[in-house]
Amino acid sequence: MKRTLYVTTLAVLLLGSHATPARLYAQAAPPPAKKASAIQVLMITSDEVKLPAEFQISLYENLIQQLEKQGGFQHVYREGDRNADAASDLVVLHSTVRGFKKGSERARNVTTVSGKTSIDIHCQFTDKDGKSVLERDLNGKVQFFGGNLRATLDFAKKAAKLAHDNFAANSVS
Amino acid sequence: MLLRSMGVATIFLLGILNFTVLPSIAQQPAAGNKAVQITGLVGVKANTSGNLTLQDGNLQFASSGAKVSVPIHSVEDVVTENDSQRVFRGTLGTLTMFAPYGGGRFLSLFRSKIDTLTIQYRDTDGGLHGAIFTMPLGKADLFKKDLVSQGARTSIPVQDDSSNSNAKPGTAKEKKP
Repeated sequence: MKRTLYVTTLAVLLLGSHATPARLYAQAAPPPAKKASAIQVLMITSDEVKLPAEFQISLYENLIQQLEKQGGFQHVYREGDRNADAASDLVVLHSTVRGFKKGSERARNVTTVSGKTSIDIHCQFTDKDGKSVLERDLNGKVQFFGGNLRATLDFAKKAAKLAHDNFAANSVS
Repeated sequence: MLLRSMGVATIFLLGILNFTVLPSIAQQPAAGNKAVQITGLVGVKANTSGNLTLQDGNLQFASSGAKVSVPIHSVEDVVTENDSQRVFRGTLGTLTMFAPYGGGRFLSLFRSKIDTLTIQYRDTDGGLHGAIFTMPLGKADLFKKDLVSQGARTSIPVQDDSSNSNAKPGTAKEKKP
């Protein structure tokens, strides 16, 4: 009887020791991304950082252009678009500026190494109910050629790729 | 002889006037502002030059290839700022970067000050749009005043905005190297 109890306890312990890491691995792995046919882009917010208006608009417009260019979504809706209400599988992109350094095009042209413009943005994708499905920090920068607003295009390309890879219906991953 | 010389001189002067003054009169835009659309307007390519006017309750941007109207009542925010841009820009500006003996770097020191005008507006479906224009220095504040007086809204009142841009231009302009 004692022996049976000992074997059972050992078996339970062994099973537990194998099952626990598996469960931990399952928790650590990201949940499978939800595919969506439409995406809505909200205006970029900057509560903590003072962002010039032209950068805010340029970020927003470039983001929409790049999402349309990348494809994968049937519709790319703007903030406030009433047609987005009808979309069943919609993801909403919220972007918040966390850091901004306005460099100098003149400094970049003259010195090559200084004058970098960079923008750090926290991107949060939510479903229609507001539940977060993906969060990521992205960066846009311009180091050599082009005006300061080119940093917004760099960010937009990265954000559009992130959205395409995780949510677009015809994405590879 | 003297009369003949005077006649020739008059014809010569008229010829010069014909080539200089008259075309400049003809090229003057009809009560509009020359502006460059950086981004935002639907159907207009980025960095397109054109004429920005206020007509019949609409903000109109007319370029050689397109004409876009935005109802002024749909404009939710107008902001002006100062900036600067390279005198030699575009393809020529890129080519100057390859000039020998640091010539490109030297030319990039030449910059002209400009005003930027940023607007936010809604389309018929309620979608939010933004557009950025650049215009000659000192023009954006006046244009904003006209825009606000005709029904556009702004988050920064006109007086505050202009005094803001005069008081601390360093915040809007690029830092000097």
